[in-house]
Amino acid sequence: MTPQSLLQLTSQKCTTGCPILDRLLYGGIPCDSITEIVAESGSGKTQICLQLSLHAQLPVSHGGLAASSLYLHTEFPFPFRRLHQLCLSFRSSNAHHFPVNDNPCDRIFVQSVHTADHLLEIMSKTDPFIENSKNQVPVRLIVIDSIAALFRSDFDNTPVELKRRSSLFFKISSKLKALAKRFNLAVLVTNQVVDLVGPNEGINGLRIGNLVCLHTSGRRVCPALGLAWANCVNSRLFLSRNEEVIREENEKSNGQSCDFVKKKMRKLYVVFAPHLPESSCEFEITREGLFGVER
Amino acid sequence: MEIWRLPISASQRGKLISAGYTSLSSLSSISSSDLARELTVSESEAMNILKVASHSRGSETSNASCSIVEGAQSAWDMLHDEESLMHITTSSADLDNILGGGIHCKEVTEIGWSSLSLIVNSVLKYKLTTAFGSESIIFMLIGGVPGIGKTQLGIQIAVNVQIPNDFGGLGGKAIYIDTEGSFMVERAFQIAEACIEDMSEYNRFLRKDFQECKIKMLPQDILENIFYFRICSYTEQIALINYLDKFLSEHKDVDMSLWSQVKVIVVDSVTFHFRQDFDDMALRTRVLSGMALKLMNLAKRFSLAVVLLNQVTTKHTEASFQLVLALGDSWSHTCTNRIVLYWNGNERYAYIDKSPSLRSASAAYSVTARGIRNSSSSCKRIKMM
Repeated sequence: MTPQSLLQLTSQKCTTGCPILDRLLYGGIPCDSITEIVAESGSGKTQICLQLSLHAQLPVSHGGLAASSLYLHTEFPFPFRRLHQLCLSFRSSNAHHFPVNDNPCDRIFVQSVHTADHLLEIMSKTDPFIENSKNQVPVRLIVIDSIAALFRSDFDNTPVELKRRSSLFFKISSKLKALAKRFNLAVLVTNQVVDLVGPNEGINGLRIGNLVCLHTSGRRVCPALGLAWANCVNSRLFLSRNEEVIREENEKSNGQSCDFVKKKMRKLYVVFAPHLPESSCEFEITREGLFGVER
Repeated sequence: MEIWRLPISASQRGKLISAGYTSLSSLSSISSSDLARELTVSESEAMNILKVASHSRGSETSNASCSIVEGAQSAWDMLHDEESLMHITTSSADLDNILGGGIHCKEVTEIGWSSLSLIVNSVLKYKLTTAFGSESIIFMLIGGVPGIGKTQLGIQIAVNVQIPNDFGGLGGKAIYIDTEGSFMVERAFQIAEACIEDMSEYNRFLRKDFQECKIKMLPQDILENIFYFRICSYTEQIALINYLDKFLSEHKDVDMSLWSQVKVIVVDSVTFHFRQDFDDMALRTRVLSGMALKLMNLAKRFSLAVVLLNQVTTKHTEASFQLVLALGDSWSHTCTNRIVLYWNGNERYAYIDKSPSLRSASAAYSVTARGIRNSSSSCKRIKMM
């Protein structure tokens, strides 16, 4: 056992495809660590996952990992159409990196996962899979979308079951981290939210991370799977969406008048990360993908 | 008590013991005139006693110890040694205050750099360890929820232990055992840079000599002095801690100078790999206590501090939830010092949960781009005064 030289240890990052988001994340999603994205449904978690799987294929000089990705999805159906749409715009903006007949979708390996035990089984098979992929385009990104779906229904609310669930969290997380370290992978996991009822912040009055409380769609929420899972991830990002009524000035023929327009405000927050300060940025989702907005 | 063994008269022996000299080592650093005054004997008698003492000590150097029970040390000697322990500054002035001026080297605690006044205070309290060192070792558990700053504290400790002696630091190296993969090199570099900047700031403040302002240390040097180990399972963790004995003795032999030894071991976090399914809980407790014992032995043998970062979990008690350190009560009790990090409103606080020498107190701190620092609200309070 020899200590690793810190000067040679560089943490590689995978670009998200948007320079504004990359700036917020100090380069992108880091390798050799588990990043979790927490959001309610319809906030853009899957969009980020798909976008990252595509951008991981960019060469390292352009912020990618020059790698293919393994996409484990638990919610059905897998958004193939959206992936194709994103793929088209990705290809057109990065045409010079890929040969003409190449399809970036070929380098995204999709696998459906049904239960937590199934996930553990898959991960034991992932080792040789990633080894073999080294010959072509190596796998350097694993996406699990979403981890919460595996645990929300299988477990009763008794202490024994909850303990078993916690122990599964640590098992899965430790396997993922071992894989991440061995092959220098970036791991992205998505999680759902649960509503907070009551006067306290956080489940059981516990605050985790920079934000006092997570708000989305006008409700107070907190990430699913509790404190045990929060201990398993290295970084946590939160996507919120809110409907805002904005006053817009409109010039009309008979002078100025203003309209009240409903706008969807989407924000990305850093809840906790070992290398990131507390920060947030606004973003929007378009046909071409998910991009940060500078105000 | 070794004094019994000395070939001196019974009355002299009685006077020595009543004056508090119970071991040969306590007679080693006293002059004959002082001894004569304390024992109310003539100076020649005192010189005789000292000669006899040094003679019997000299003949016993081949033995491992000079006392009846191997390794035993009288409480007086321990107090003497403790008073001369080195203090490590903590980052936050408030934290330093509740920690009685800083952290004992043998006790692991949080280390960090803080406001200039704190640095000055710590330097004034700085003393060298005696040649015999202290036998009392303690190690510290720091627990907190995710995102409170445990890893930041760990990195700050690994950087601050390297502060040279001129600045009130220990000038030592660090071993960082990463079990979770939270250590980010760029963050460590940031903290190291900020630490060097603070040192040059202090230099300018105290020395006022612009020639000497430049600190020769570079952030790269600081990173080089952190021995970083990454482990992926609990068996690796135990194997590494077993290996550290060999690693530290090899390292000690190579570098004989006292001031560039490993002075702290940080384990981040010690609980992660033990929370998977251990079918036999008794086995887990045994493994954990074995590991704790090994770490304590390392701390004792190599005079270093051990900082263990711990996760927290909730405990169901009477239909309410309580935040407790993970891995159970028996694990919490193996450590003599415990600090719990928690949120209070919008501020981060550190609370001394258990310590044999310090009062229970809490202090606010903040995590900034430069590392662990005083919390900004406390700064405002100072300014208003």
